Amino acid sequence: MRKVKNDKTEKKFMPEIPRKEMDELRNSVKAASEKVIAENIERMKTADPNRSEAMKYFDEIANLFGQRQKEIEAEKEKGKKVIGYMCLFAPTELILAADAIPVRVNSGWYDTSKLGDRVVPVEVCPVIRSTIGAKMIELSPFLEQSDALISVLTCDGMTKLSEILSDTKTVWGMNVPRIKDSEHSLRFWNDEIRLMKTQIEGLTGNKINRKNLKEAIEITQRATKAFRRLQDLRKGPPVIMGRDAMLVNQAYSWDDKKRWTEKTETLCDELEKRVQSKKWACPPDTPRVMLTGTPMFWPDNWKLPTLVEEGNPKGIIVADELCSGERILNDPVGVDEWSMDDMLNAIGDRHLMASTCPCFTSKDGNEDRINWLVNKVKEVDVQGVIYYVVRGCMLYAMEYTKIKKALDKINIPVYYLDTEYTREDVGQMKTRVEAFLEMLTARVDF
Amino acid sequence: MITVGMDLGTQRVKVVTLKDNVVLSREQAFSGFDPTKAVEQALEEALKKVNLKTSDVAYFVATGSAMDMAPHANSTVSMMGADAKAGFYLFPKARTIIDVGAEEARAIKCDGRGIMVDFIVNERCAAGAGTFIEAMARALEVKLDEIGPLSLKAERASPINASCVIFGESDVVSLIHRQESKPEIARAVFDAMADRISSMIHRLGVNPEVILVGGVARDVGFIASLNRKLGVDVLIPEYPEFAGALGAALTAASRAKEGQK
Repeated sequence: MRKVKNDKTEKKFMPEIPRKEMDELRNSVKAASEKVIAENIERMKTADPNRSEAMKYFDEIANLFGQRQKEIEAEKEKGKKVIGYMCLFAPTELILAADAIPVRVNSGWYDTSKLGDRVVPVEVCPVIRSTIGAKMIELSPFLEQSDALISVLTCDGMTKLSEILSDTKTVWGMNVPRIKDSEHSLRFWNDEIRLMKTQIEGLTGNKINRKNLKEAIEITQRATKAFRRLQDLRKGPPVIMGRDAMLVNQAYSWDDKKRWTEKTETLCDELEKRVQSKKWACPPDTPRVMLTGTPMFWPDNWKLPTLVEEGNPKGIIVADELCSGERILNDPVGVDEWSMDDMLNAIGDRHLMASTCPCFTSKDGNEDRINWLVNKVKEVDVQGVIYYVVRGCMLYAMEYTKIKKALDKINIPVYYLDTEYTREDVGQMKTRVEAFLEMLTARVDF
Repeated sequence: MITVGMDLGTQRVKVVTLKDNVVLSREQAFSGFDPTKAVEQALEEALKKVNLKTSDVAYFVATGSAMDMAPHANSTVSMMGADAKAGFYLFPKARTIIDVGAEEARAIKCDGRGIMVDFIVNERCAAGAGTFIEAMARALEVKLDEIGPLSLKAERASPINASCVIFGESDVVSLIHRQESKPEIARAVFDAMADRISSMIHRLGVNPEVILVGGVARDVGFIASLNRKLGVDVLIPEYPEFAGALGAALTAASRAKEGQK
């Protein structure tokens, strides 16, 4: 682990933007974003005529400038620390154990990616450029509230992003081994976890002990249980639209973990009743689509799910293999002994071994991802996969051929869709997505 | 039963009228600023040719990038779906269809029933499509219909970049500065396009019988380059630019029958 020095006097990357310009930019992007959030929610509401009452809570929490921001602000005033993170590998259990608030801070804003162009070239992945842009104009409430950031050095973008953000924030880099299926990698990673524990204890002033760590793990285990219950409900005829499920899944990254779990359980109760009364979210013969590839962050980067579920013909997203979606909580922390060592190792295991991120390779390549996808296709009865990549996302782009071959073998069509952080290509995307859905429908007809 | 397919492309609109799966007439017009009006005119012409009225048509299907703007349309079909239908109709043995239009190139794979099973579309730049040829003809100061025959006179080709129209154009300019001959530069343009399109087809998996449709299928220079790259002679229908409209008209026929059931 390497602590990036937090020297606020000299900015190595970030441009100096006059306060007035920064405020103007932030206000205009924020106003546009609030509109996008409201519009997305409105469209999600109309998509499902029997939409569950319990979604109301998630519609509210979806407002990134709303209730949750204020709650965190109030907690901060009481002395709590906020620790932001950019990758799922960040051990959020340790953050919770130290009585700090974990929030994910990757940016889904299209407009700020253009601002990021002032720091890095357009060839760079837009998730990175947009996060830089959001920092430049202090747009993201959660990023601004973070007292420190955990940056896991997975792809090239994340690695350099940690340096760029360290111009204005304390950034802790976590060194993730690229080959995960070796004893030695796991030992190395478990050491990183232990070093992170020390960092978090230092910042918060709270010692992480057996008791609070066990409690934190139990919080996430309960969340995982609720989370899995929700994904299980997507296996049958549709009782929840894909976008609703995706929003619930993603809201976990900024919501209060206990409350999120309760609300998700309530939602699942309601969905189970809908299964009983056959109140489907859309006709049960709607083509069932799975998404995989680059993460899709709320609120702006919702265009693909919207196109799929509002297309002509319509599709429904029944599963995804995204680190902004089903991968967030898919795997529980498995503890045997509840000793400090055992718990820390279990956290290390859960974040490293369970990951299907394309940053990994092994003697069989990233075989875990293929297995995950193939199993999911069978389990959830997926009819077609959209492989989504934003320009500049090399790891996902390069793994496509292998994934396509694996899915060809089980006769599941997959379509590679590349795009950018922009609204302008929606027309072109629509043509492609609809042709793919039409293809899935035609395959069903015969 | 009369059915009509309307293809609202980026540059031209095309209309095909069909009676019991046999083509009656074809008509096209420039899309211009008002594609709806352009289709309306082309449709009127196409129907007039065979003494028919709009009310004689049992079913209309629209396709093309502006399909949502089509008048009369009972439903729409994707460009890829329409191509698969038309390709299968024209050459029942072919399983791969390439459609190169003004701003997009598509490769479609279909099964033995003419059902599309896979497709691929060129990346967002138009360098693999017709617009690229237009830009390059301008740079070479030749007419659009001259650049193809011109390229056939080349003895060798100079490589250029076809990842982007603008970069391609600047590569052509540097070839001009190197005083390369016009035929060779013209061939370079087609070779670069064929390179991009053949790599799309290879990603789908090549099938010995490949059909080429779309407006660019009229260009002898492009056909020569593509045949060389693929190592097979592509099959070209008599009216390649009407493939999308034909596919739409065929779709209309099957949907009308479906409706009668």
